[in-house]
Amino acid sequence: MAGTACFMIVSRNDIPIYEAEVGSALKKEDAAQQHQFILHAALDIVQDLAWTTSAMFLKAIDRFNDLVVSVYVTAGHTRLMLLHDSRNDDGIKSFFQEVHELYIKILLNPLYLPGSRITSSHFDTKVRALARKYL
Amino acid sequence: MVDPANTPLGRMLLDEITPVVMVLRTNLVEETCQKNGLSLIQMLSPFCAFNNIDVPVRTASDQPYRLQKFKLRLFYASDIRQPNVEVAKERVKEVITLAGEENFSNLCSDPPQIETVLTTSQSELIPSWFPFFNKELVRTVSFSDHEAFDHPVACLLVVSSRDEEPINRFVDLFNSDQLPSLLSDGAMDPKILKYYLLLHDNQDGTSEKTTKFLTEMRSTFGSNDCGLLCVNSSQDGLVEHQENPWALYRTESSPNHRLGCFLNIDDMDELQNVMQDLSSKHIIPHMEQKIRVLNQQVSATRRGFRNQIKNLWWRKGKEDTPDTPNGPMYTFSSIESQIRVLGDYAFMLRDYELALSNYRLLSTDYKIDKVWKRYAGVQEMMGLTYFMLDQSRKDAEYCMENAFNTYLKLGSSGQRNATRCGLRWVEMLKTRDQFKEATTVYFRISGEEPLHSAVMLEQASYCYLFAKPPMLRKYGFHLVLSGDLYKKCDQMKHAIRTYRGALTVFTGTKWSHIRDHVHFHIGKWYAFLGMFDVAINHILEVLACGHQSKTTQELFLRDFFQIVQKTGKTFEVSRLQLPVIDIPSLKVVFEDHRTYASSEAVGVKESLWRSLEEDIMPSLPTIRSNWLEPRAKLLSKKLKESNVCVAGEAIKVEIGFKNPLQILISISSVSLICEHSARSDEIEVDPNSTTTENQNDDQFRKLATSGVCSSEMSSFTVSEVDISLGGGETLLAQLTVTPRLEGTLKIVGVRWKLSGSVAGFYDFNSDLVKKKVAKKRRKTTQPTTDNLEFLVIKTLPKLEGCIRHLPKTVYAGDLRHLDLVLRNPFETSVKSIKMKINHPRFLSIGNQEVMDMEFPACLEKKMNSAESDTRVKTNSTSDTVFLFPEDALIHGETPFIWPLWLRAATHGNISLYITIYYEMGDTSTVMRYRVLRMHYNLEVLPSLDLSFQISHCPSRLQEFLVRMDVVNRTSSKSFKVHQLSSVGNKWEISLLQPIDSIFPSELLLAGQALSCFFKLKNGRNSVIDKDEDSSISTLEGSDIRLSCRSNEPLFDIYRSPLVDFHHYERVHQGTAQENPNTVDFILISRPERSEGDSEQPNNLFSHHACHCSIANTSPIWWLMEGPRTIHHNFSSSFCKIKLKMTIHNSSDAVASIRIETSDSTSSANKTSVPSGNEAGWHDVSLLNDVKVTSDVLGTRVGKSLPQGCVSPFIWSGVSSTRFKLEPMSTTEIPLQICVFSPGTYDLSNYILHWNCLPSNDQVNQRAGGTKKSSGTCQGHPYYLTVLQSS
Repeated sequence: MAGTACFMIVSRNDIPIYEAEVGSALKKEDAAQQHQFILHAALDIVQDLAWTTSAMFLKAIDRFNDLVVSVYVTAGHTRLMLLHDSRNDDGIKSFFQEVHELYIKILLNPLYLPGSRITSSHFDTKVRALARKYL
Repeated sequence: MVDPANTPLGRMLLDEITPVVMVLRTNLVEETCQKNGLSLIQMLSPFCAFNNIDVPVRTASDQPYRLQKFKLRLFYASDIRQPNVEVAKERVKEVITLAGEENFSNLCSDPPQIETVLTTSQSELIPSWFPFFNKELVRTVSFSDHEAFDHPVACLLVVSSRDEEPINRFVDLFNSDQLPSLLSDGAMDPKILKYYLLLHDNQDGTSEKTTKFLTEMRSTFGSNDCGLLCVNSSQDGLVEHQENPWALYRTESSPNHRLGCFLNIDDMDELQNVMQDLSSKHIIPHMEQKIRVLNQQVSATRRGFRNQIKNLWWRKGKEDTPDTPNGPMYTFSSIESQIRVLGDYAFMLRDYELALSNYRLLSTDYKIDKVWKRYAGVQEMMGLTYFMLDQSRKDAEYCMENAFNTYLKLGSSGQRNATRCGLRWVEMLKTRDQFKEATTVYFRISGEEPLHSAVMLEQASYCYLFAKPPMLRKYGFHLVLSGDLYKKCDQMKHAIRTYRGALTVFTGTKWSHIRDHVHFHIGKWYAFLGMFDVAINHILEVLACGHQSKTTQELFLRDFFQIVQKTGKTFEVSRLQLPVIDIPSLKVVFEDHRTYASSEAVGVKESLWRSLEEDIMPSLPTIRSNWLEPRAKLLSKKLKESNVCVAGEAIKVEIGFKNPLQILISISSVSLICEHSARSDEIEVDPNSTTTENQNDDQFRKLATSGVCSSEMSSFTVSEVDISLGGGETLLAQLTVTPRLEGTLKIVGVRWKLSGSVAGFYDFNSDLVKKKVAKKRRKTTQPTTDNLEFLVIKTLPKLEGCIRHLPKTVYAGDLRHLDLVLRNPFETSVKSIKMKINHPRFLSIGNQEVMDMEFPACLEKKMNSAESDTRVKTNSTSDTVFLFPEDALIHGETPFIWPLWLRAATHGNISLYITIYYEMGDTSTVMRYRVLRMHYNLEVLPSLDLSFQISHCPSRLQEFLVRMDVVNRTSSKSFKVHQLSSVGNKWEISLLQPIDSIFPSELLLAGQALSCFFKLKNGRNSVIDKDEDSSISTLEGSDIRLSCRSNEPLFDIYRSPLVDFHHYERVHQGTAQENPNTVDFILISRPERSEGDSEQPNNLFSHHACHCSIANTSPIWWLMEGPRTIHHNFSSSFCKIKLKMTIHNSSDAVASIRIETSDSTSSANKTSVPSGNEAGWHDVSLLNDVKVTSDVLGTRVGKSLPQGCVSPFIWSGVSSTRFKLEPMSTTEIPLQICVFSPGTYDLSNYILHWNCLPSNDQVNQRAGGTKKSSGTCQGHPYYLTVLQSS
């Protein structure tokens, strides 16, 4: 389990639709906004990189001090972003793939409006379980 | 590709890497210069940059070239040393602070849009002090001993003509101890080029003495190295310079002092000539010469294969020496220093090829020697040379990176060098449009020093902005980072500036934490600077932060209130987000002709009221479209279109306030903002008012702040409410506005005060416009509660009403007396009052006489039945609309009371709607009538469950056995069963047993069940049959007392409320029509009076069971009549007995009836008796076939006949009788049997077939087959005992 890990799903119009602090580190007061800042800034890099490769998993694309941003871009250009401080590419890749599956299940829900916030508690617990498993 | 020299970096290098001239001067020289407000260097420097010098240069190669531009840097000897770090820091800080002050003025405006930011050019956007700052930063590492380009190339000695013995002064100047350490500690050659300058002040008079000095100087120092400079030619000191070359040195302390005021045009020419002479005739040739000398030396010792080998060998050997990187390891005489000087001189003279080759050579040496600082310095210069040559970019970048990393590796000592190197590297990257790479370099430059980091990060952010495509988010992020650092260094203004820049990116972002952070901090900082308005505007943005943690919310709120307090006034905000106004919950309740007695009545759907009021409201006054009355028409049309309210009557508005936070907030003085205008009769005003609806915000604000301004004080009053909202709570606030005058009233918005210090406003208009459009599409004739404009009309009488003593909860069957109280507070009376109730089954209107009587005594049965006629009348009127008597005028404070009867018919939740229509006594008013609507909810609990079973009495015709089951369904309540009544004249009911025996306790406890049996008799028939019984029938009556105490009076079920309710019960449970085959029962019970609640009203419980069918399965009843016991002397003859069968056809059709008597079945009966038990009776019917017996056996086996009851007898007469019977008629058939021996006989062995013959019109009805049309009945048992007479 990583010390710091902030997972976020960003919709295609750059609005965060899901966020979770999945790290084991003690939460600092300003951590939430710092993580948001880093992830938000990393979107600029994603924007460049996403079209240069056919892979969905973009690996670590950006870093801020010792925090690394890994990104996974779905076909619908929803971005799964993970801010972490550990190097574990394989684990992160599996994590992203499984979360992607969960996200597709959310999308299949006829009551879910694509691009709106994911409020499903089931999704939340599953994501956290995956984070414990892979990160 | 542009010429590298014209790029920013190129210009920077040409500016910074130029020969340094050390200046030594006497105090008198300085004095002379100060007359102009300038120091010597300041006076000279503008003339040290030559843009068009055109000097031929020949360096190591024999190819001469010409220098077009050249520059000298002048420094006092005392300044030629490594600057003090602390002082440098201070200076840099000063620069930043100064820049902050300058730029702050425009920070109060709104941040620019991101589009405009993207389109503005680089130069406009980047603060102008950045290059200046960078220069200052670079200067902190000047005069390092590891680099030669800051080493003075020449020395300029200046002595004033007023000095005594100038020659000695010149010598003293150079020999003094003030020489920089570079010269003294051997880092550079102390033998440098000297130039002697004599300064003459023309104001001091003749130059004769000066000329004498000059010749003296020339003879002493050589004619070439001496010069004369005459200044201050202007006598009055009023020289105005068009373009003041010294504008740069203007200081804060003396802004009005004219710099160079004594220097006229001749002086300036002379200055220029002297400097040009110095550079072109002395410095450049000197450098050329030095390059050539050094080059020869280097070639001799280092170039060529042999020298390289030797060098390597020698270097290897040197490894043993202790590594002292900072010590004076390389003196000026060492070959390494010489190569460096050679390289730097070549660089300064633009011979980059030569410079590069020397740097390369040197770099390997230093690398092997592991002197990293020098190595890095050389690498840096290599990078710059590559750049200036515009050759291999990769090499240039590699060198820069190498240098940068090497500097960084040195730790703190190399930090500032690294910064310089980084800045040059960044410039290099920027020149090549590699902004993204530049940002990373900036990011790496930002070291421990927070202030420097802040500036670097800010510069990095601009690089992100200029990158292609622009990386706006990175831009914003780095601005925020930089702002935080500025804040850390107390550079509040810079912090605000960067955050403002970030706001352009983050405005309207959905990334909530980011938005909150930026707005909150910028707000706080503005407040720190005392700009509270802007501060509050920013903090307002983050107030509704439901997603933040509780502590953060508290922090936000606390800071907000602190800022508001500092402003010292109640702050007014037009769109305060705290609390959130829930616009969909906005509900407006006003009373036009519809008035409401309670708030519950308001909540009822309009359609429900409409359907209830259908037949009491007059149809909408048909407009007599007569040209004589255009006014009336207009008015009525207007009335129909807009909302009407009456002056003096409150308009209630319900708005939901939602607290998005987790902490408690308190809101006070919530009230409506209204606009009142005097009556406008013209219809043209309408469009005007709709256009003014789109008032701009200012007007709204003015209205909001003025609130109840003095002139409008009288026209309406608004209520104020205080509420406090817990975390996440939503409350509905009820606000009212009461118009006082006629005219138009418009509800504009709502205002409130948050925690007593911040006033918030909300304008309804903006949202409602949208909503209205949506509404229009759906339904055009919507009752416009959304329209917040009201037409106020003159005060009208208004009835207030309530029902007194109406309980919330009752038990089913409860019957009680209530009072309807109407009140009209106005003097004007109202008339023709009508009332309608939606559930007459539950609530019925009583007679006024009842008012005075006591309940339930008024219901008690009286002996004279004279009132039985009146009851029929009341029954018919109460059905639909109740008209109050004509003379009922209500006015003044006198309440008008009318009795009502409540009976809880069934259990469940019942909504009672009562609507009262009344007309104005004064007919001149606009509104002719009004309606009062009342609504009550009643919860009815189950009490007694009543069920009846009626079965035919087999022995008597027209008599029935009734079984009544009563179950007490309540949980705690006990009932006293009082009376059971059957409704209708024709029924008589009596108890089978005295009540004492079956139900001695009288009380029916909770959960208890009771069964009673009654005899029910069709009284009408009995009257027909036997007149003598009529006296008995009155005795029995239709009511039975079920209580033990016989002194309690019975209740008359034909009296007003009971009979009315019974009527509705009948309607509800079936049809109101009389059916001869059904009977209705009413059970009256009374609640047990417990000691605790003695004041409980006297009430009754009546339970109605209607349409209890008395009909059997067959419509035919019959009864065998005859003697039961007969004495006969069988010795003489057999006995003939006559019997009579009475048959009644209860159906409504003609029935054909056939009676078949058979002797055989009798034998069958007999065989069912086990043969072993036969005793003495003779069976004569053995001759009958046995086959049948087995068949019938099964059917009759259950009846255990008394043993030996069957004896031989035969039916005499016809075995089959057929006849027709008219509907509802009775006939008698004679029958006869012959008995041959004494015994007891069962005469049930006959079969009665019946067949209804439908009349023609009934054929269709019967086709459904709901009723049997034919059937066969076994005979009833009839036992006859025949005895032998003696």
